[in-house]
Amino acid sequence: MPRKSSNASPADDAEVTADEREDEREDDEESGAEKAEEKDGEKDEAPRPAPSRGRRRLAATVSVFGELLITAGLVLGLFVVYSLWWTNVVANQEAKRDSDAVREQWAASDDDATGGDDAAVPPEYDPEDGIGFLHVPTMSGDEILVKKGIDLDILNGGVAGYYDEPVESALPWDDEGNFSLAAHRDGHGAKFHDIQRIEEGDPIVFETENTWYIYRAYAILPETSKFNTEVLDPIPEESGATEAGRYITLTTCTPLYTSRHRYIVWGELERTEHVNAERTPPEELRAN
Amino acid sequence: MYGWIWRHLPGNVLVRSLISLVLVLGVVYLLFQYIFPWAEPILPFNDVTVDEGGEETGG
Repeated sequence: MPRKSSNASPADDAEVTADEREDEREDDEESGAEKAEEKDGEKDEAPRPAPSRGRRRLAATVSVFGELLITAGLVLGLFVVYSLWWTNVVANQEAKRDSDAVREQWAASDDDATGGDDAAVPPEYDPEDGIGFLHVPTMSGDEILVKKGIDLDILNGGVAGYYDEPVESALPWDDEGNFSLAAHRDGHGAKFHDIQRIEEGDPIVFETENTWYIYRAYAILPETSKFNTEVLDPIPEESGATEAGRYITLTTCTPLYTSRHRYIVWGELERTEHVNAERTPPEELRAN
Repeated sequence: MYGWIWRHLPGNVLVRSLISLVLVLGVVYLLFQYIFPWAEPILPFNDVTVDEGGEETGG
């Protein structure tokens, strides 16, 4: 609350800053009458000669400019809070809701109709609602819903998306190809936040309605250009792969809190397990 | 600027403080609900996908 400068001090005090005046006011207990006068706040002409109009205007401009700078600083601070905290809250809520919907759909659907074969299903559900769950115990204790597409409006929902462009992803049940996924490193659920914890040999498990697909990470590229779409190739040669197989590729941004480069983890399918009635997870997930 | 707003709020200090608080919360709400979501894709902090140069995919 800036006070008007009806300070009764001599005119050469005109330069004292607001802070100093604030202090003065606290120290100056005996000057009660003056304070009462000040509190009126209106531009009552003080005993002190008023500073020239031009100078007052300059001071007002400077103070507005300063306040704008402070405001800009606060807004930027709030943006950090928004990016790193609020978007997670929203995205996790959304992901929880969508995951529950997928699980309910699975529980409701008739297993006999599908014959327990993912590939045979013309999926009754829209792949954009989610095709299954990714479990990477060394990265995150949570299951990550996987949807089709890598557009922001999908990834911002706290999920991982499989690439539909620039290189179309294979699906886990395809005979060969590369199942390529992207998710946020920070904010919006930050599902791949701890991707650097994955080491070669760690299991990457994908769960669909009827099958557990157990992959093993076999190559990691800690930093590559964001234009390096070759990492998504059906045979990702950069990982050392030379022949067609069933691969999985996780992509996200790196270093943390930036989008400068991309972090890549490749895995290859080790085996599949049929989902039983209790949905008992494979041993890779039980250990954790 | 803020001094001007404060002086133009009605009521005593308590009422003014409450109104100020409501105004601040309103501004924060607007920022979080509309302005930040709009600004975020424009800012280069959260692209996670690989893509071909120039193409605007994000994540």
